[in-house]
Amino acid sequence: MRALQLSSRNINHAARRATALFMLLTLVAPLFVASVSAQRQQAAAARRLTEDQRILHVLNRLGFGARPGDVERVRSIGLDNYIRQQLNPGSIPDAVAEAKVERLPALKMTTPELYAKYPQPAALLRQLERRGELPPELAAIAEARKQGNAPDRAAAAGANVNGQAADERGMPVDEATVKNALSDERRNTAARRAMRDYLAKHNLQSPQRLVAELQASRILRAVYSERQLQEVLVDFWHNHFNVYAQKGADRWLLVSYDRDTIRPNTLGKFKDLLTATAQSPAMLFYLDNFQSASPNARGNNQMNRRGQNRPLLDWLMRGGANAGRQREVQRDVMPQEQNAPRRMRRGINENYARELMELHTLGVDGGYTQKDVQEVARCFTGWTIMDPRGFRTAALQQLGARVNVRAGAGEFFFNERLHDDGEKIVLGHKIPAGGGVKDGLMVLDILAHHPSTAKFIATKLARRFVADNPSPALVERVASVFTRSDGDIRETLRALFASPEFNSPAAYRAKIKTPFELAVSSIRTLGGDTNGSPAVHQWIARMGEPLYGYQAPTGYPDLAENWVNTGALLERLNFSLALASNRIPGTRVNLERFLADAKSGGTVDKARVMERFLNVIVQGDISTQTKQTLLKQLDAPINVSNASSGAETNGIDDDMDEMDAGPRAGGGGGGRRRRQQQMARVDLSTVQNPEVVKVVGLILGSPEFQRQ
Amino acid sequence: MSINRRFFLKSGGIAVASLGVMQVVPSFLQRAVMAQVQHAGVRRKTLITIFQRGAVDGLNMVVPYGEKNYYALRPSIAIARPQAGNPEAAIDLDGFFGLHPALRGFKPLWDAKRLAIVEAVGSPDNTRSHFDAQDYMEAGTPGIKSTPDGWLNRYLQSNPDAKASPFRAVSMTQTMPRTLQGKAGALAISNLADFSIRAGQYSQSVQGGFESIYEQSAGDVLGGTGRETFEAVNFLKKVNPSQYKAENGAQYPRGQFGNSLLQIAQLVKAGVGLEVAFTDMGGWDTHINQGNARGQLSLRLQEFGAGLTALVTDLGQRMDDVLILTMSEFGRTARENGNRGTDHGHANAMFVIGGGVRGGKVYGDWPGLSGSQLYEGRDLALTTDFRDVFGEIVVKHLGNSNLQAVFPKHKTSPAAFRGIL
Repeated sequence: MRALQLSSRNINHAARRATALFMLLTLVAPLFVASVSAQRQQAAAARRLTEDQRILHVLNRLGFGARPGDVERVRSIGLDNYIRQQLNPGSIPDAVAEAKVERLPALKMTTPELYAKYPQPAALLRQLERRGELPPELAAIAEARKQGNAPDRAAAAGANVNGQAADERGMPVDEATVKNALSDERRNTAARRAMRDYLAKHNLQSPQRLVAELQASRILRAVYSERQLQEVLVDFWHNHFNVYAQKGADRWLLVSYDRDTIRPNTLGKFKDLLTATAQSPAMLFYLDNFQSASPNARGNNQMNRRGQNRPLLDWLMRGGANAGRQREVQRDVMPQEQNAPRRMRRGINENYARELMELHTLGVDGGYTQKDVQEVARCFTGWTIMDPRGFRTAALQQLGARVNVRAGAGEFFFNERLHDDGEKIVLGHKIPAGGGVKDGLMVLDILAHHPSTAKFIATKLARRFVADNPSPALVERVASVFTRSDGDIRETLRALFASPEFNSPAAYRAKIKTPFELAVSSIRTLGGDTNGSPAVHQWIARMGEPLYGYQAPTGYPDLAENWVNTGALLERLNFSLALASNRIPGTRVNLERFLADAKSGGTVDKARVMERFLNVIVQGDISTQTKQTLLKQLDAPINVSNASSGAETNGIDDDMDEMDAGPRAGGGGGGRRRRQQQMARVDLSTVQNPEVVKVVGLILGSPEFQRQ
Repeated sequence: MSINRRFFLKSGGIAVASLGVMQVVPSFLQRAVMAQVQHAGVRRKTLITIFQRGAVDGLNMVVPYGEKNYYALRPSIAIARPQAGNPEAAIDLDGFFGLHPALRGFKPLWDAKRLAIVEAVGSPDNTRSHFDAQDYMEAGTPGIKSTPDGWLNRYLQSNPDAKASPFRAVSMTQTMPRTLQGKAGALAISNLADFSIRAGQYSQSVQGGFESIYEQSAGDVLGGTGRETFEAVNFLKKVNPSQYKAENGAQYPRGQFGNSLLQIAQLVKAGVGLEVAFTDMGGWDTHINQGNARGQLSLRLQEFGAGLTALVTDLGQRMDDVLILTMSEFGRTARENGNRGTDHGHANAMFVIGGGVRGGKVYGDWPGLSGSQLYEGRDLALTTDFRDVFGEIVVKHLGNSNLQAVFPKHKTSPAAFRGIL
């Protein structure tokens, strides 16, 4: 009854309001015509982005989102100036980011230095054992290996996020091998500690730390670098020329790949970038070209069927310095190879040739045939790596064997003895006999200048920077700039950023952020700090994008549907909460700084808190509906406590040691696994200012912030 | 409505039945049920695939004890011929093949004709790299690395179901395996209990917040996914994964593998529309001291066999609609090596278990193990392309005849099928 009364009162009330409104309308009717035409003008204006939206759009697409104050900064220097600067990253001072990566020693090392500093523990153990020099604390590990448990691998290789670590033979150590190895937790913990102690005592690091350092460097630069477009392009080209860290030697080779192959070539001529990747040990290893040899090659009749270390053998045959000692190395190295897959059998390997055309240049419908694949593969025979598994030699060296990792180990090397020197025809071009290393270079030249390549690269750039399905007209325009400029990436991008499509409202927030973009932009938008430790990378992996962790050469698909699925979305929302509540070790946000005017212990107006964070995170650009919905979620009054929140996280620097434990994914097992799960859970009732955390978590998790 | 509900309860199992009223069943689930009703008479089939990563030694898993060269090739690691009273001998299957004694639990399945074995099966590509061979087997395109998606995902794509449940394809792994990567939706999850908004006491209120915001953007890709996500989360909460009790006395082995299988069983019984499930198990890369009836491989087989036996026991009658398929990237050398282990080989063996299986039989031609019969002089030769086994399952179990979409560039046809189903 009471409800009925209430509602009838409401009806009366509504009727009165309607009457009043009607009268008001009658009064203002003459104004109406003018108002409608004003609306039309507004609609026309709405077809263009506001200046602030454009700035935000550029900060999102040419970078990893805005930090507090960025929009104002760009407004003051002018958007066009900002874009011009970003296209010339060398002109932008970048001391902060450089200082952040300073503490990642791997980044500056040569490949032989990396092999020596981050030795493969399994190889280390084997060598120690063979020489009878196995320290007792490591004997248990070696024994366990033989029993089929492999805590040394678990300890050393860890399980990567795909559950496939790679052992020294370039094969995945499967997830469950690792899990199995971890079944005896105590023994394993002891073994892991023993290996860690051994490495520490000898001033060595595990190879897993190497990958963690690489991942950290990408996160740190994305968060801190002023050269934001450079970092976006590093991400883009790494994905275009994808290499998977967990394949064999690639974890050691990726440091140089990132530093020497991708970074210097992000904005130059496409052909230079292409050539750099073609000659990069990382790519040669990943797509198997390092072992591609012509059956007709001069050197092939001397081939050893086990010829994995062919470049080494060749060198020995040529009687290199240290030859006697190197033979000893070889004896030590080779017996392991008996277990290795004989995929190293000499012959033509077409993998690189195929992916070079399908994924790197022409695109799958780019107009090449299987015959072209074969001919291109012939051209690249002999493009190989000096001592591709130099990490074994490095292991020996660590044992005091008087051998040196060869100068140039792990570097590109053209072995003419493996090369097919006959004539080839590639895409209708004749490549004359006797060209040697020039054959491959000619192929790269043909491909870099092929119209299909211009179209393919233009499509991928437009997809990355504008929308998942860029219009054919845009692609054609961008492709023609690419062609006219002789594949100049900077010029191509300049045209793309100036295009009406890029600057249209249709492109605004049209892309779903990748997990990497989401994680980095979340930290940036709150002005947070990170050390790029495995804990934060682990979240990126959980959301579906482990860095250097995509197995197939296609790289991650740059489409919304790849990132938006039930499981991944849930992790995105959980990430928002973990970040806002400072539950990601090594990463820290200070939400109280945005509430500085609220007295500690005082109650603040929740609408104001919401408003403030909407401004911070989505620049206030959010639908009224969403805003209302958000407001309704805040039931409890917000009491702000300004006590130091630092206690909730480790100091930024403390967490780097976590790297030694390897990534926290894929069956880490035991205590590590539990820690990892705890890490992924947040109990807001135990954090400071839970209501504020909730507000921030909700906004970070909102569809508006998932987009850019 | 009443038809739906009856059907639902009949097919949906205990979890849904315990919910009591149809109204609380999430819409994705109602759609899944409707879809089943629409495919009148066809109950939802489930395929559970198990990947033995690291290359299991098929010749000791399914022992060709009748092959005269077997014992000569493996002086220290061979499994003895079947012999009454000898617990270390192979368990006879058909007078030529026997099971490794650690797989004792499979014998009743064999006798009940619910277990079939495919011999000398694998990838025609000759790679002996774990990495490449797993890639090829999961992508379903041997020799081609750039295939963007896995064959299980292509099956889902080729049999599109706009009303599919978010649990249509689930991998009980930390990250999405290659075989389920692709355009069709799939879920990778290592622990069902983690499938939620994790904010402790605030979980409910935070989730409510997210639900409302995502409700606002209904209609776009995020909104749609958001709605599905929360429906799935809420539903799973009611199923209460942590309270699960296996049925029929099934005992899953401790460890990740057993735990994964247990959770798959839970999803099957919960009637959440599970069609394709995946999990994996490693430890098969036995280069050194492989052991024979005892030892390293035996321990792995023990866990493997106990897990699958528990799963079959637990699922009971539901196995009529479930098919379990095991695979491994390649076999191992026919000859044991100098370390009493085996190295990377070529063809291998697969198990196929289910009510619809024409079991109690070893399928595929046996190529023999004499020197000239061995592939490249060292490995079991291949007589069945794995795509012809996968293809038969796709057609006959999952009911999709669009094989070209699932296995492009492979001329598979029902003529190549082995008749396992």
